[in-house]
Amino acid sequence: MIRLETDEEKHINFMERIYAGEKIEADDWMPDEYRNVLIKLISMHGISEIMGALPEKEWVPKAPTLKRKLGIMAKVQDEMGHGQLLLRVTEDLIKPLGKTREDIMEDLFNGKLKFHNVFHMEAPTWGDAGLIGWLIDGAAIITQTNMLNASYGPYARALKRICAEEVFHAQHGEAIILALAEGTDEQKRMVQQAVERWWEPLLMFFGPGDAKAVGTSKQDITAKYRIRSKSNEELRQDFFTKYVPRILSIGLTIPDPSMHYDQEQEKWIYQQPDWEKFKEIVRNKGPKSQERLRLRKLSYENNEWVREALARPNDAR
Amino acid sequence: MNSKTAGFFQEYEVFSKRTAASPMQYQFSLLAPNEEMALILAQENFMRREPVADIWVMKQSAIKKMTPDERQSLPRLDNKDYRNTKGYGYLKKKWRKYEQEMLDEKEIFSWGGESKK
Repeated sequence: MIRLETDEEKHINFMERIYAGEKIEADDWMPDEYRNVLIKLISMHGISEIMGALPEKEWVPKAPTLKRKLGIMAKVQDEMGHGQLLLRVTEDLIKPLGKTREDIMEDLFNGKLKFHNVFHMEAPTWGDAGLIGWLIDGAAIITQTNMLNASYGPYARALKRICAEEVFHAQHGEAIILALAEGTDEQKRMVQQAVERWWEPLLMFFGPGDAKAVGTSKQDITAKYRIRSKSNEELRQDFFTKYVPRILSIGLTIPDPSMHYDQEQEKWIYQQPDWEKFKEIVRNKGPKSQERLRLRKLSYENNEWVREALARPNDAR
Repeated sequence: MNSKTAGFFQEYEVFSKRTAASPMQYQFSLLAPNEEMALILAQENFMRREPVADIWVMKQSAIKKMTPDERQSLPRLDNKDYRNTKGYGYLKKKWRKYEQEMLDEKEIFSWGGESKK
């Protein structure tokens, strides 16, 4: 005789599978909380890849040499590709809720779906373009490699592809920064000013240390479900350990006089960013939020004719 | 959902092989309005760097997948020694008695080389 499992039994089996290191697939039973936290995380990641390509694409026509232009174009294309991968992963999760990619875009435009704080900021010089590749992609590598073993199989597989390409992005950024740091006084100044502009957004990138700073935090849920292993603060500390010595070694200054490694506490001491400002920025009230959302909308509208042409291939025959 | 674009995109599964001699391998899925676009997007999305010799795309709806319950039937009981070389390992000892080496998997697969003319 077949006896159907209760939801409670399903939940217990699910948690046992996760703790045994098994991967969950799109058509497996999963708790609503797990599905919802994945949708939030992966749609935000996917949309951020796409919104992140926008400040970089501004630099394609202005890149100083052909080689740099080809490099940054390749990077912009990668970011859009990552967006596609991650939106596909999200779509399979929202399918049972009757939703599609259109709903993801709708949520982006109406502000329900947020994108990473760093992509709301300005990138006024070539130094910013290099710094985004070096440090923002560096920070992204740290948060993303932390999820390579995520319990959700489709996300873990997408991250493997993405991280492999991020390595190229980081080196592309390093190449630009090292060239500028070894250049004229004006070029050196350009990098230093970029560091000053991006330091606070970089600290914010990892998210608040706990829910106290901004009211909510998904850290505990993602850890419980084995989606990520380290906390925001651990990741930020990892970032300092890897990048602070490199930043200083090329003669740059970090705009935080209190920044130092405390041997006794075995951690970096630093000035917290303004988390109130962070909340405003991710609510689409950053310096470039509206302009970039408008760009996204415009490109969708301007390319409408392509979709229309593709929708009726038989009419032409 | 915008009624104009409802049903416009289809889900395609993408397969590719690295070299002419390698087996087809599943890569990922994508959304495309038709097969031709699916092929172009597959190349753009997944083959920007790695070597590739061929790409297949297939509508997801054409694939019959196992349900999670059906997958439960896949693990085997560990009682099939007679199907594997493992069940015949004792022959090695027997051949030794006749001063002969056993022709094991490693030995047999080494026979496929070029002719030594």
